[in-house]
Amino acid sequence: MTSPTHSLPPTSRPLFDGLFFLAVFGVLGAVVRIVFFTPYELAQGAAQKIYYIHVAAALSAYLALAVVATTSIVFLWLRDARADRLAESAGEVALLCTTVVLTTGPFWGKPIWGTWWTWDARLTLTLFLWFITASYLVLRGAIDEPMMRARYSSVLGILAALLIPFIHLSVYMFRTLHPDPIVLKPDRPSLPPEMLLTFVISVLAFLFFCFMLVRARYRLALLRELAEEAT
Amino acid sequence: MTPDTTAYYYAAYVAAGLLYTGYVVSLWWRGRRRRK
Repeated sequence: MTSPTHSLPPTSRPLFDGLFFLAVFGVLGAVVRIVFFTPYELAQGAAQKIYYIHVAAALSAYLALAVVATTSIVFLWLRDARADRLAESAGEVALLCTTVVLTTGPFWGKPIWGTWWTWDARLTLTLFLWFITASYLVLRGAIDEPMMRARYSSVLGILAALLIPFIHLSVYMFRTLHPDPIVLKPDRPSLPPEMLLTFVISVLAFLFFCFMLVRARYRLALLRELAEEAT
Repeated sequence: MTPDTTAYYYAAYVAAGLLYTGYVVSLWWRGRRRRK
């Protein structure tokens, strides 16, 4: 693998810096807006507000997996260690966000559908995505040889990302209980303006926060490689 | 009439908060171990 050059010694870079704390404050600000400055939806009550973190986590997971797939392709092409390190970092954050999606969803499903879980196409495919992303990280942990680890996991990372369009389109392709998209669809968003603004703010805040998580995880991967080189 | 679903709303936010915070703590912990 090509060895990357760094302008600063990696050990001098903190995992959490000013930008990270800015992202944390962004998320807290979004939550304050959701809780105190966004109206309840009349038919669902307070549970509708779960939507803002649930969809933000889903979009973050999709984006993180898109990064995994792109950097995996770059690695297979150029054999650049930085691409593999970024794929690993984004993969871990993708698993976190998918876990948030699968955890917050049932808290909405129970009062609205009357059940915590149903084997609906959208839910089942998302669960499959969680298993594939978890397998990606398990595979990485199981192979010691860096080149082989990067090659095998790149293939799995690309395959995991291929599920995303199926998950997004599953509500159109199958008869499902899961609601159709109300913002990311060909027509105009069907949210009232103040709810739409809250949605946009929360998505941007969580995407920025997840980007900062990937950045912190990347720096951790650098530290680990330095430690491995030193031993 | 609007149903009272507040408990589910709070529970979802607490669960998400715990997951994100737990991950940040795990990053901090692993970084601390590596630096040592």
